Amino acid sequence: MKKLRTCLLCCAVAVIVCSGARDIEKKTFSWCGVVHAQDDWRNEFDDVCSRTQDAMIFSPDELRNLIARCDKLKPRVEKLDETQRKVFLKRLQLCRDLFLFVLESKEKK
Amino acid sequence: MHLFNRLFTLFFFLLFSSGAVSAMTIVPPDIYGRVVINNYRSKGIVPVVFDHWLHRAKFTCRLCHIDIGFAMEAGGTKISAATNMKGFHCGACHNGNRVFGGRKTFGSCSDNFTQEEGARCERCHSLGKNVKKEYEFNTFSKRLPSKGLGNGIDWEEAENKGLINPVDFLEDISIKRTPLKMDKDVVIESRGTWMSDVLFSHKKHALWNGCEVCHPEIFPSTKKGTIKYSMLQIAGGEYCGVCHDKVAFPLIDCQRCHTKPVQ
Repeated sequence: MKKLRTCLLCCAVAVIVCSGARDIEKKTFSWCGVVHAQDDWRNEFDDVCSRTQDAMIFSPDELRNLIARCDKLKPRVEKLDETQRKVFLKRLQLCRDLFLFVLESKEKK
Repeated sequence: MHLFNRLFTLFFFLLFSSGAVSAMTIVPPDIYGRVVINNYRSKGIVPVVFDHWLHRAKFTCRLCHIDIGFAMEAGGTKISAATNMKGFHCGACHNGNRVFGGRKTFGSCSDNFTQEEGARCERCHSLGKNVKKEYEFNTFSKRLPSKGLGNGIDWEEAENKGLINPVDFLEDISIKRTPLKMDKDVVIESRGTWMSDVLFSHKKHALWNGCEVCHPEIFPSTKKGTIKYSMLQIAGGEYCGVCHDKVAFPLIDCQRCHTKPVQ
């Protein structure tokens, strides 16, 4: 019984260490779920903001969609810690403003 | 009487010229674009002296002002030792691990260092101190093509010749983007009939800036004639004056922008 308990405990620790902890090298101990949630907003951020270079070739509908994605992402960025929030909110705002700027200049024509 | 009038005009011209020249502060090339960062002055720590020339030779404007998030106006970023230690602002590159040009960057701020390592602080916190810099302007600029005022360096030509190769991507911070396809030149009509029009090259500017540095914050409209700006506004730090006269070449280098031949 004692052996089984020790074995189960070891397995549980192994599962937690293997699946949850990352970035030990960077001395940040993050749980699996949290890392995924972080990656999630970052992936979306990278995907949306990587399109600024092509803003001129997007149709007005595509630009509206990108602006909506920026707006949807904003509350998630607002939940980050102070410094990260400050940096990424500004970056997100710059992307959104650019898409809006291109949209407006296309609609003016 | 005629001679007297001429002498009188000449006198006033010289008086005006001397006044105008003294009003234009010609900054020496090595300190042109220098920024003194004095956000949270604490005992024993002097303000940071940041020279743009060294960093602009190694990185694009967009990398620092968009990806890392340095504001374009003084004091706008609120850089602190804490943000650097978290890997933001200066700490995005100066973390002691990043390698540029085969060399590791020195770490910026730390709350845990030995007395010997403390000398590292002075590499940035150097205002009023006689710190021996690793890069010295005259030696550094000697191998680069020279042009005009400001830093007196033709940065564009230096890049074309492969003498500098500004980094535009920082792992974990930048986003992979497709190269910008904007290469349209724009003619900006000059207000004065005696001055030739500006031939603005998107290609030149977009190479280092991307789109977001300028649009829409600095230039809110692209439709021709929608926004009108004057040299007075530019000299006051608006529009082109956000960069020119501060880091990019100064406004007294008229012919570098007003390039379109007078019709």
